[in-house]
Amino acid sequence: MTIPLRYNLRNLVVRWRLTLATMLGIALVVAVFIMIMALARGLKATYISTGDPRNLLVLRKGSTAESSSQITRNEVRLIRYLDGIARDDSGEPLASPEILVLINLDRRDRKGTANVLVRGIGPVGLRLRTKVRVIEGRMFQPGLRECVVSRKIAERFAHCRVGEQFRTGRTLWRVVGIFDAAKTAYESEIWVDADEARAAFKRNFYGSILIRPVEDSVTVATMIKRMEADKQLSIRVLPEVEYYKEQTKTATPIQWLGSVLAVVMSIGAAFSAMNTMYAAVSARTREIGTLRVLGFRRRHIYLSFLLESVILALLGGVLGCLLSLPLNGIATGTMSWTTFSEVAFEFRITPELLANGMAFALVMGGLGGLLPARLAASKPVLDALRSV
Amino acid sequence: MTIPGFVLRNAFRNKRRLVLTVLSVALSLFLFTLLQTALRELTQPAQTEESALRIVVRHKVSLGNVLPVKHQARIERIPGVRTCMKLTWFGGIYKDPKDFFPQFAVDADKIADIFAEARFDPQEVADFQKDRAGCIVGIKTMERFGWKVGDRITLQGTIWPCNPELTIRGVYRGGIDETNLFFHHEYMDELCGKLGLCGTFWIRADNTDVIPSLIERIDATFANTDAETKTETERAFVLEFVSMIGNVKLLIGSICSVIVFTMILVTASTMSMAIRERSREIAILKAIGFDGWQIFGLLLAESFGLAMVGGFLGCFGAWFGTWALFQHVNITTISNGMFIKFEVTPHIVVSGLLIAIVLGLVSCIAPAWSSVRMSVVAGLKELD
Repeated sequence: MTIPLRYNLRNLVVRWRLTLATMLGIALVVAVFIMIMALARGLKATYISTGDPRNLLVLRKGSTAESSSQITRNEVRLIRYLDGIARDDSGEPLASPEILVLINLDRRDRKGTANVLVRGIGPVGLRLRTKVRVIEGRMFQPGLRECVVSRKIAERFAHCRVGEQFRTGRTLWRVVGIFDAAKTAYESEIWVDADEARAAFKRNFYGSILIRPVEDSVTVATMIKRMEADKQLSIRVLPEVEYYKEQTKTATPIQWLGSVLAVVMSIGAAFSAMNTMYAAVSARTREIGTLRVLGFRRRHIYLSFLLESVILALLGGVLGCLLSLPLNGIATGTMSWTTFSEVAFEFRITPELLANGMAFALVMGGLGGLLPARLAASKPVLDALRSV
Repeated sequence: MTIPGFVLRNAFRNKRRLVLTVLSVALSLFLFTLLQTALRELTQPAQTEESALRIVVRHKVSLGNVLPVKHQARIERIPGVRTCMKLTWFGGIYKDPKDFFPQFAVDADKIADIFAEARFDPQEVADFQKDRAGCIVGIKTMERFGWKVGDRITLQGTIWPCNPELTIRGVYRGGIDETNLFFHHEYMDELCGKLGLCGTFWIRADNTDVIPSLIERIDATFANTDAETKTETERAFVLEFVSMIGNVKLLIGSICSVIVFTMILVTASTMSMAIRERSREIAILKAIGFDGWQIFGLLLAESFGLAMVGGFLGCFGAWFGTWALFQHVNITTISNGMFIKFEVTPHIVVSGLLIAIVLGLVSCIAPAWSSVRMSVVAGLKELD
């Protein structure tokens, strides 16, 4: 025989002011936690979804970022015709020599500037990235100073709509198309022809080469080993997905912020839950006595109060989740510490994250209810009945 | 019984509740103080008399593009320029990528003049200038790796294709950032094959008045060349980096307002509990001749005191806590270079205390007002 749940619910309703205040406190803590974690989650998801598991990225030996790597034209020639690189129907090797240049662009809202990546890609560059599609206008034409920009760039930066032009250095780039990159890191890039980029930015070298090995010829590991051992090349080869996974560390400070805030704030919220529950216990001392006389045991009382606190916190948790939901999908940007450019991403609230938020609420309710429930259970029956 | 004694007695009537409330106010203001400190550190780069004299020249396209070294001679000829120094981000790896600290190739004979607020030992600077493979390191990085003057270290280049082997010739203290390593630009040029390139030029102007015209002159000098420049004050240069981290102001601002709001909620509900259970006493006070305003004042004093104790605990806790923490750990290391000083300023502490004052006033107004207005008879009839 346990005390019915309805008893707790009605108690919460009777003291609705206090219930509401405590609930709101817990809700806000949960909402802040979910908000910050959604930020970190969105940033990570952007990098994790970038890259094709079939591709390999070639950088200069010792280089950690595409933007600072250098591959000579001679090396490009050697790599393109290596054994084991897949070819398309016309016999063209699936290898795209690329160059990444950081440029400074005005933001659309005229609030300052930010660094954006311009990626010069080879003729097969688009084919190596199946997630990227041109959704407006057309692809740039090799040999012309034309570019396609990602949808996010078109939204966030000035002079980046189809038909407009922007200037970097002494070059005018005409925007001829907008591409959608399925929320990958390419969503923060401008794409141009690699050779045009080399000419415009006066680079005598490429930055990297993206290659696709033949799928069944050799295993990827031996391919990497063979390429890195080649005496003519001074390169580092790694799977494309791994390169982007490495960059998820950009999200680490945000995760830290989220965890520290959540822990400290939840202690505060647990205090307030404790306060509420102590008040509930002292106001219902007589009821506790009555329940005991009716035959309920100490542990029933204990459980009942603990449960009440947990219900209170869970209600707060649900409210917190609801408060945070509108953030889902909102676009924002931060600086990547690898490329020093702005990377655009979205708040991403997943069911798992909501569950984490609810778990947080549960812990707050549990911690807040533990001591008051023990106090309630330990009251001697007669004293409890006698209290006013 | 005196009036303050009466207020104090009332405050301590429910000790458990008092402690819990004070602690939750303290925790909230503790967080508030830390967040404001973080915000200040990120958005307001330290400005000194010296740093106001510095301007930075970079490639107009972006910081990722390098400038020809030959620009330096032309900049030096512009009136108003006292010193012009090459400064190039080396971005090398020491042992492991995790051991990150900023490294710059600079003109060894100009470093002490450009970063004049840092304290250099003149003898060490002379040693550094004499040794082409020497370097001079900030005290925080020295301590982090346990280096001594005379130690030899190797950096592995990730941007520049060379691995300089350096001998530590000196230490500097103070200044904007105590984590940097400076080494000879000529040494890097030599190792990388005399590329004739550098990242930025740092200029020390004769005085602050010439800076606006200086900026214009420099950019005009290189307009329509292969490498156009963008010149800005050091402050603008740093703020541009900050703006790219994202809308930090909005993020931290909204978190702070949530914290303050939650705190008001918690304190107000405590005060309403405390006041409602006292309705009978308040009625008695009225019956023996206290008027409404006096009683309001008593209640106000109680909530005010509660908020201020919490405020002092929280704000000074954060102040002392960060100070004590930084005696043992290096903030730059644990924050991965994001924070350098993380200094809780008096300004921030005062704003935290101001919030506590507002909190003390706001949280008791509604419940105190309603019990003050309650008639004596109704008050006496109240049961608990």
